[in-house]
Amino acid sequence: MHITPDTLIVFQWGPVLLNKTILFTWCVMVLMVVGSWLITRKLSTETHLSRWQNLIEVLVTGMRDEIRDISGQDPGRYLSFVGTLFLFIAVSNLLGIVPGYVPPTSSFSTAAALALCVFVAVPLYAVSQKGLSYLKEYIEPSIFMLPFNIIGEISRTFALAVRLFGNIMSGTIIAAILLGIAPLIFPVLMQVLGLLIGLIQAYIFAILAMVYIAAATHVQRKEGEAGRQSEKGDLSDG
Amino acid sequence: MLIDWFTVIAQIINFLVLVYLLKRFLYGPIIRAMDEREKKIALSLEGARKKKDEADLEAKDYRRKNREFDEHREEMFSQIKEEAEVRRKDLINEARNQVDAGRTKWYEAIHREKEAFLQDLRRRAGRQTCAISRQVLKEMADVDLEDHVIHVFIKRLLSLNKDETEALKESIHRLPQKISVRSAFKIPGKPAGEIKEVLRNQADGHVDVQFEVSPDLICGIELKFQGSRISWNVDDYLETLEESLVAALENKGEKAADKLSDK
Repeated sequence: MHITPDTLIVFQWGPVLLNKTILFTWCVMVLMVVGSWLITRKLSTETHLSRWQNLIEVLVTGMRDEIRDISGQDPGRYLSFVGTLFLFIAVSNLLGIVPGYVPPTSSFSTAAALALCVFVAVPLYAVSQKGLSYLKEYIEPSIFMLPFNIIGEISRTFALAVRLFGNIMSGTIIAAILLGIAPLIFPVLMQVLGLLIGLIQAYIFAILAMVYIAAATHVQRKEGEAGRQSEKGDLSDG
Repeated sequence: MLIDWFTVIAQIINFLVLVYLLKRFLYGPIIRAMDEREKKIALSLEGARKKKDEADLEAKDYRRKNREFDEHREEMFSQIKEEAEVRRKDLINEARNQVDAGRTKWYEAIHREKEAFLQDLRRRAGRQTCAISRQVLKEMADVDLEDHVIHVFIKRLLSLNKDETEALKESIHRLPQKISVRSAFKIPGKPAGEIKEVLRNQADGHVDVQFEVSPDLICGIELKFQGSRISWNVDDYLETLEESLVAALENKGEKAADKLSDK
């Protein structure tokens, strides 16, 4: 049994290797991009829509609304990043029902890569919005808070990666173990549960990423909105 | 080891590529399409709003006109009634005038017919009377009617009163033209000479007499001078007959008209 698909090497040429994580990531990417291209090449601007366009519009609109609710800002600049996080993780996890497929998200390397992307994106968005003055926030309320702030950033990134990896990896392993113990019916139920967990994890990862970005980019928010946002963050962390 | 840094870097690159590709093929086109649709819907809503405003205005205008119509309906009805009444009176007057004109024409036609009838009757009655008289005189007294008429005429000339004689004289002396004696029949030479002689005696001088035949004088003879007339003819007697006939006709006509109006 492999805990991570990184160890399943398909092809290696010196230090360059192609493991199942990267391979299935490409598969997911191709599926998403080709699917998007197929749906969006004949978009209708009338009131009559194709089913696929309708589905995609519902998804995109839902993501935009969610981002708007969380950040209180125009969702345009965050949609590509946060939306792709959600879609990539969701599609990766949902394809778990395909036999022989290993979700790239069950690799800690993938979860770490995504968490690192969030770790970099947060200050980038904040600096692009507020300028370099954002960096001052790390030394507030006093310079002594700097190490704690940095530790906080790193730990939440680490938590993000571990949460995703742990949930997906555990789901895969539980399914494999149960297949050995009770090969009939029960694994199917666990697969269904796995799909649900996969979607929830995609949602949590994307929402947390958005919350971190929103917390960094917020300018002057009303107390109620800020409170609601931090409440949501606490809930997710828990 | 759970983490493979090569895979991490590769996944970071993969993720960034995916972000770009999805932005290019998914978010961009979808958001553009949605914005465009939103614009179209907004435009159509705006159009609908304008149309609704126009319809509201139209409805308001229509209601106002309806109200005005309701308010002025009585006035308009009375005006129309008055106009209809005037028109009715005009038509009745016109019809009455036409009837009057027709009646006048009819009366005129009746009158003309009556006149023609009387004229004809008079002529025929005169001729008949003359014929009968001639016959009676011939058979009973062996006298010629014309001779007797001339005789009566001469007697009348001789029995002129003073004023008539003066007027005859004045007429004969003052006017250059001849004195005309008209008769229904040709006066033979001898009686004509007698008439000339009588006139000469009455006028105390030369008199130019011209004899003319005029069938209108029914069995009569006449002399006209200076607005006066000396004559004898059946016409005078026939006038009485005509008057009694006219009276009888008018009496019958009135009765007929009364009967007609009664019906």
